[in-house]
Amino acid sequence: MAYVATRGGERAIEQSQRLFCAEMGDITPDRIAEIRAAMPYLIDRIMGEASLYDEDLAALALAQTGGELYEAVLLLRAWRTTQPRISVAEPVTQDALFTHRRISAAFKDIPGGQVLGPTLDYAHRILATTVLDGQVSTPDPVTPAKMASPPRQPSVSAWQAENGLLSPATSDHLTGNDIPDVTREPLLFPAKRAHTLQSLARAETGGVLALGYAAQRGYGQAHPTVNELRLAEAEIVVTHPRGTRFSAGRVKVSQAEVVSKKGSQLELGFSATMGWNEVKVIAAATLDLNSKGAPKGSATEEEFFLYHTEGVESSGFCIHFKLPHYVTFQSSLDAMRDAKARKAAPEKSPEPAE
Amino acid sequence: MSVHPVPSDFEARCNAAFEAVMWAMARPGLVRDLPTTGMAQLVEALIDRECAVYCAEPGLAELAEKTGALAVAPDRADHVFVDDIPDRLLTQLNCGTDLHPDDGATLIAKADFSNGPQLRLTGPGIDGHVVVSVGGLAHDFWQHRRRALRYPMGFEILLVDGARVLGIPRSTIVEVL
Amino acid sequence: MSLKTLTKPWEAMAYGFLDGSAKREIRRKMIKAIAVPGCQMPYASREVPMARGWGTGGLQVSLTLVNPTMRVKVIDQGADDSVNAASIRRFIARVAGAPTTMDTLDADLIQSRHRIPEEILRDDQVLVLQVPNPEPLRPVQPNMSIARQMHADADYGRMWLQLYEQIVRSGRVMQGASYPSLVHGRHVMTPSPIPRWDVPKLNMAQHLTILSAGREKRIFAVPPYTRVEPLVFSDVPYKVEDHAGLTCHRSGTRGFFMNEIPQEDGSSAFEVSDSEWGVKAIRRRDGEEVALGETWYKNGRMPS
Repeated sequence: MAYVATRGGERAIEQSQRLFCAEMGDITPDRIAEIRAAMPYLIDRIMGEASLYDEDLAALALAQTGGELYEAVLLLRAWRTTQPRISVAEPVTQDALFTHRRISAAFKDIPGGQVLGPTLDYAHRILATTVLDGQVSTPDPVTPAKMASPPRQPSVSAWQAENGLLSPATSDHLTGNDIPDVTREPLLFPAKRAHTLQSLARAETGGVLALGYAAQRGYGQAHPTVNELRLAEAEIVVTHPRGTRFSAGRVKVSQAEVVSKKGSQLELGFSATMGWNEVKVIAAATLDLNSKGAPKGSATEEEFFLYHTEGVESSGFCIHFKLPHYVTFQSSLDAMRDAKARKAAPEKSPEPAE
Repeated sequence: MSVHPVPSDFEARCNAAFEAVMWAMARPGLVRDLPTTGMAQLVEALIDRECAVYCAEPGLAELAEKTGALAVAPDRADHVFVDDIPDRLLTQLNCGTDLHPDDGATLIAKADFSNGPQLRLTGPGIDGHVVVSVGGLAHDFWQHRRRALRYPMGFEILLVDGARVLGIPRSTIVEVL
Repeated sequence: MSLKTLTKPWEAMAYGFLDGSAKREIRRKMIKAIAVPGCQMPYASREVPMARGWGTGGLQVSLTLVNPTMRVKVIDQGADDSVNAASIRRFIARVAGAPTTMDTLDADLIQSRHRIPEEILRDDQVLVLQVPNPEPLRPVQPNMSIARQMHADADYGRMWLQLYEQIVRSGRVMQGASYPSLVHGRHVMTPSPIPRWDVPKLNMAQHLTILSAGREKRIFAVPPYTRVEPLVFSDVPYKVEDHAGLTCHRSGTRGFFMNEIPQEDGSSAFEVSDSEWGVKAIRRRDGEEVALGETWYKNGRMPS
């Protein structure tokens, strides 16, 4: 049975997986701990894209996939699918965020001050090649400021709203289970506000950047000014079934407000995500700012950017083109050959013989 | 695999109940066997916190509430469970919209398959036509249904008699013989 | 009430991988999909341990339906041993303990990427087709919201215009696979990228077909005994691939959809695309007793 002998699919996929894993060697608890400690920003990025805040699981996903980011995010999302939903935390408000970094490009100074916090913005980007020669690169110690910056501040947009420069966002008063959840219901358009913000929060960083950058370069109508960029920690407050409110811990969050002049008012674009990821929230807030009234099919239209920045879907579809397509291809070939034959023999009736 | 996963009783019941419902919908007029009697199994298989439900029977309503579903009036429900169908219910049921026919409700009601008027069904899922006897419904039920439906907008009906189920999707044309 | 009553006893993985809420949503949507044949029903589409675009939509339907007695067959491009088919089959067996088979006649549930087996499916079988793009209108309208409105209005004029333009330009409809078809006289549907050869198998079939697009989050269905009519003009009839006269160089079977295998000498050899049909033909030729089912096509023709 020659035909059967060629049926090696099962063995082939097993071995190809082993080949991939062999290169990475043992995955140990130490390796997970090291990844977690050494790469907090990478961990943050994939936790945001996975909509799952667990640094250990994120480090494990990175270890298991050898840093293949799309695969790592997919691993985390697939794991997330299996987890029960025990409770919905209370809303996190901007003025309750424990703030590490908060800067505004709109004003020279803002209430609470420009708090630089941790950043590489002003670092000279020079590789510490001496490490490769065997030297240890030890970070210089941080000198504490004379006066601690205030940990909690309202947003800059709150000040602007007070001064009549923009209309404050209105609440839809939804709480708990009533808040639409894009991982439990399909994304339809025009999208619910919650779905838009959730989709941006879990969007793929590079995708959001590409489309946000397009909008910033002029493919969007509104030019963004960074009203406020904030890296903070948010308290996760939940209620025990017996009624006790308690904090289940803090998670790192980023948020960006961008504004643009529209008539006599400022228009606001907003984005927030889990983990610290500045590029993503600025780009996402830019898309949010530009989406109102954007032409259908343009990069700043909500349907366009929400569909195309979904990292698990876009990367999955992209790599699916590796799968065999010979049936579809055969079908197209048949139509092509037939059309060609018809052109070669134009005297024949254009109707198929069948 | 060394260890084969085994479904819990609950899981197995939901799976079997849905299989019966699926085939009942796919082959209108052909009665299917449910794993057990009554409507509770359909609540288990279909209802959770994403649903808005009306249950006439208090015991069933309690079960539905436990799933986290919202208890609402029939006109706002996506699933309506009743023993006897109240007057005007069919005019109140959600038929969805032309953009979202999927928002149309599912009505689950008690019926009697052993005697009652004969119905002649045609439409998708039916090889030509099928004749089925359904009792326990108001005499003008099918007339009201016809008036309420505007295909593809409409609602589905699952009729339950003990441990048997009959499906009447909105695509089925029902004539009372 | 305590935290414990709100959650469930810990288990490494739910039966069939999907948790109860995911299954219930898919069940609810399947009911609606069957009730309005060919109409795309949106669903949440959970992330599963497989990449989007690799059959996650079909997989979610299979995982919802599967139980330990349901015999599962998985094919990709007609072949049971294609790598991704093997991967999906292994996953379903692993998480649901379901028996697997390659024989179409033995299967209760068939998950397929882009083919319908050549043997006629029975009225107790479910065919789950994986769908990359559920929207037949996408070539004329990429915007999903506008396309949805067009379906609501049964506004298929641009679809027809596109087919007409192809006939004017090329003398025939150039659509290869995914031939747009009118279901129950109301909704235009993509039958998924099955070849034109397979579309007539959906018309007034005995089996139930569920089509599911995981990445695009849409589910739709063709119940048994439902009209599925390829969009054609009355004077330019539907034409399937010209495979009726081809013979499989391995099994000798003839009159079925074939894979073309380019040869070094510049010619082409053909092998039957339904791999298990080919295997059974070989086994029968070698003298084994093998049950061959009735086929939709007889001598390369679909009886009308």
